[in-house]
Amino acid sequence: MPVVPPRRPTGRFPKLGTRIVVFFVALLVIVQGVAAFLVIQASSQVARRTINQQLEQGERVFRQLLTQNQARLEQGAGILSADFAFRQAIASNDTGTILSVLRNHGARVGANVMTLASLDNTVRADTLDPARIGKPFAYPDLVKLASVDGKSSSIVIRDGKLYQLVVVPVLAPEPIAWVGLAFEVDDAVAKDMHQLTGLEVTFASRVGPSEEWRLHASTLPAQLRPALAVELARLPESADGSGEITLGGDEYETRLAALEQRADKRVVAVLQRPLAVGLAPFQRISAVFFWMTLAGLAVLVAGSLMIARGITRPVHRLADAARRVQQGDYSRHVDVEHRDEIGELAESFNHMLDGIVSREKEILRLAYEDALSGLPNRAMFYEQLGQAVRIARRGGENISVMMLDMDRFKAINDTLGHTVGDQVLREVGARVRTALRDSDIVARLGGDEFGVLLPTGDKEHAPRVVAEKIHRALEQPLVVGGQTMDVAASIGIARFPEHGEDADALLRAADVAMYEAKRTKARYAIYNSSHDERRKEFLTLLGELRHAVEAGELELHFQPKVTLAEERASSVEALVRWRHPKKGMVPPGDFIPFAEQTGYIGEITRWVLRRAIEQCGRWQMNGSRVRMCVNISARDLRQGEELVQFVSARLAEAELPAGMLCLEITESALMEDPAIAQSTLRRLRELGVATSIDDYGTGYSSLAYIKQLAVNELKIDRGFVAGMEADQRNAAIVRSTIELGHNLGLTVVAEGVETEHELAQLRRFGCDAAQGYLFARPMSAPAFERWLSGLRDEAGARAGVAGA
Amino acid sequence: MRCAAAAIDVEVRDAAGHPEPDVAVYAMPATGAIEARPGKATAQIEQVDREFVPYLTLLQTGTTASFPNRDPILHHVYSFSPAKTFEIKLYTGKSPSSVTFDKPGIVTLGCNIHDWMIAYVLVVSTPWFGKTDAAGIVKLRDLPAGSYAVHAWHPQQRAPADPVTVAPEGQAGATVRFTMDIAPRKPKYKPPFDRLKY
Repeated sequence: MPVVPPRRPTGRFPKLGTRIVVFFVALLVIVQGVAAFLVIQASSQVARRTINQQLEQGERVFRQLLTQNQARLEQGAGILSADFAFRQAIASNDTGTILSVLRNHGARVGANVMTLASLDNTVRADTLDPARIGKPFAYPDLVKLASVDGKSSSIVIRDGKLYQLVVVPVLAPEPIAWVGLAFEVDDAVAKDMHQLTGLEVTFASRVGPSEEWRLHASTLPAQLRPALAVELARLPESADGSGEITLGGDEYETRLAALEQRADKRVVAVLQRPLAVGLAPFQRISAVFFWMTLAGLAVLVAGSLMIARGITRPVHRLADAARRVQQGDYSRHVDVEHRDEIGELAESFNHMLDGIVSREKEILRLAYEDALSGLPNRAMFYEQLGQAVRIARRGGENISVMMLDMDRFKAINDTLGHTVGDQVLREVGARVRTALRDSDIVARLGGDEFGVLLPTGDKEHAPRVVAEKIHRALEQPLVVGGQTMDVAASIGIARFPEHGEDADALLRAADVAMYEAKRTKARYAIYNSSHDERRKEFLTLLGELRHAVEAGELELHFQPKVTLAEERASSVEALVRWRHPKKGMVPPGDFIPFAEQTGYIGEITRWVLRRAIEQCGRWQMNGSRVRMCVNISARDLRQGEELVQFVSARLAEAELPAGMLCLEITESALMEDPAIAQSTLRRLRELGVATSIDDYGTGYSSLAYIKQLAVNELKIDRGFVAGMEADQRNAAIVRSTIELGHNLGLTVVAEGVETEHELAQLRRFGCDAAQGYLFARPMSAPAFERWLSGLRDEAGARAGVAGA
Repeated sequence: MRCAAAAIDVEVRDAAGHPEPDVAVYAMPATGAIEARPGKATAQIEQVDREFVPYLTLLQTGTTASFPNRDPILHHVYSFSPAKTFEIKLYTGKSPSSVTFDKPGIVTLGCNIHDWMIAYVLVVSTPWFGKTDAAGIVKLRDLPAGSYAVHAWHPQQRAPADPVTVAPEGQAGATVRFTMDIAPRKPKYKPPFDRLKY
């Protein structure tokens, strides 16, 4: 399975977490931004309004202060002018005295300039400018006003300076002169005003609309003043004279308070308040707002990160877990932290994981376990063997492999059915298991074949001990489905490293040894290289056998069946013989089982059938009516209709009646596939071919089954016949078999009859015919023909003997 | 030489014909100024209830005036008028000094303590003077025959009245009429008297 690298999310906002954070942050920024905009907008309006209100209020206070100041100055002037000494000095008419009293008394009230004018408005004394003496007093209107009210005052400009000029009469007690007291409006005055009004106060004047403004006094820093003069000129000439002026980067709400307006001359007080002052509280709020927004942002980022992580972390964990699963690591579950959708997903994921794990286990089990016995299977055994070999090779240790094959299991399976066979296999597996240590391994390799691995290096005899233990375990009779049966096994043993360097070699060696054990009917065999030779022979046998058929090395021998009643050769069994060019005659036992194993038996059977039928036809033409009996294997029987057709064709070729042919089938072959056997036998019977059950008594078939098969003949196995003399039980079996056969309407033939005694007993039991060395060995066709004619000659004599 | 004494009746009215009382009227003989003999003529200008009484006093040059204080408080009478500059510092009861008005002219009297107190002394170099009565009339008598310039003056006059020259004869004498525009007198604020609060 190719490991696909996990797909990393891409795109502008790649991660879910980032998307969540960006969304919330953008939301907050927009909301706060709009709020901030509105707040700033509103606050600046409010600030402006507040500042303007403060300005208006300030102006009122300013005017009041101005009035009060004026009143204070007037009062001072009045008191001064009423001072007796002052009046006396003035009345003295002495210019020097007058000047000095003006200076002296002016200083008392803080007047900067004192001017004395006569009642006819002529300057008589001036503390600043003597040149004015004799000239008209510059403010006749103030004098006029003072002559009515006793005092008057005005803002005036003199020599470029701004003064509050107060005019009062000198009373004696009638006015005798006018005294003008000029108080300079300077920065100190502006500062006083500033302290009381809270406004920036500047006194400015200009002599005409197009003239420049002159600043006389101000609370503004000196560097801002020229700018103010310029800005004032730009201020619209509106009614209230208010507006905004920017000085040194700060905005000032500004009002012009007219102090004096005479013709084009204008004297104003410029009252200002910086907008920043009004904005200050809002700036504090703005600062709080800003920090709150920052704090909010921080909290929001942290919060949304947490939420995002709450979502994405389990998702990441799930993704990681999925990757682990992809890489085949099922060991870890995903922690289910929350009972939310993600948690549900994680839980589902865990269920899925469990499912995958259990299915994979099951698959592994199926792959490595034999379903029938629950033991490891061949694949598992092979793997473990490989592993054990590697370990042993590293450690320089020995290991042993055993191959165990049950003897005659096929028969059990055939006769008692697969269910019983399976149970037998399970039981055998369990018994083998009990004979082993825990560290040993037993596996079912297939069929009735088991493998045993003794992984740790042991003494040389250890596998023998184990093999003996296995045999002992199997010796106990097996009870399956109420039937008691004996089981046995052949064990082949191979050892690492002497018998094989790897698992394949060891298995093959153990297999060879096992076959050797079977062949020699030993309980077990340890591999020997000579076994290999035999096996090689075995393998070359197949090639040679093929060659034998083609090269005509096979020949048929015939052994007669003699009817006991008439001592007549009623039929003859065709037996195949192999005349090997080098080995001489090869007995059937050496190549027939092999041919059956390899499936080559079919070829041989067809060859035998063809020859036997031809031979029988020839004999018939010569006048010897002998029925021809041919052995058929289970494999042949399985061919069914093909076999029937073949037989039919051969009979037709030889123009031989079907009744002259008898097919002998071993009991075990019949049991291998009873259904096909039954149908094939029926077809042969329909054809008219006789059938016989060979080696009866070796299998487990019941007579009821035999009856169903509708055969003509039973052949009692030579084992029973040979044992009749020694064991009465065998005799009883033979006798009852004969009786039963007769009851079923079958002809009963005894095989392997070698002694007269046996013959006599068989006669007594009512056996129909007999076959064996007592009568004749298998012989070639010419020999048989001679034997047949000899038999006819002897017939009379033997009958006489028998009769005697 | 007193002979043929004459009289001058002076009548002062305003433009509307209403009589103007308390107008100072004097007749200057064409023959020249006549001063009083030193020490012969005296006058009194009292301070009563923080007012000068009388408000307007006509004196012949050379007259010595005293300023008795009838109030329980001190007064400080002064004059800066060129005709007579003097000062009588704080005193009560009888004035510590008297003042001889030796030059003709208008002397304005004030009190240095009470700014509202004002009085006028018209010093004339003639013995023939008087103030118009409620009917605006004053009779100048016992004038020697001759030519006289008749003057009328009032502290609140808006314009000076031109003197009228007459030559009265006999007791019938002459009658002089003045039309004067006199502003009403506006006394300065005078706080009420209180012993405890001056």
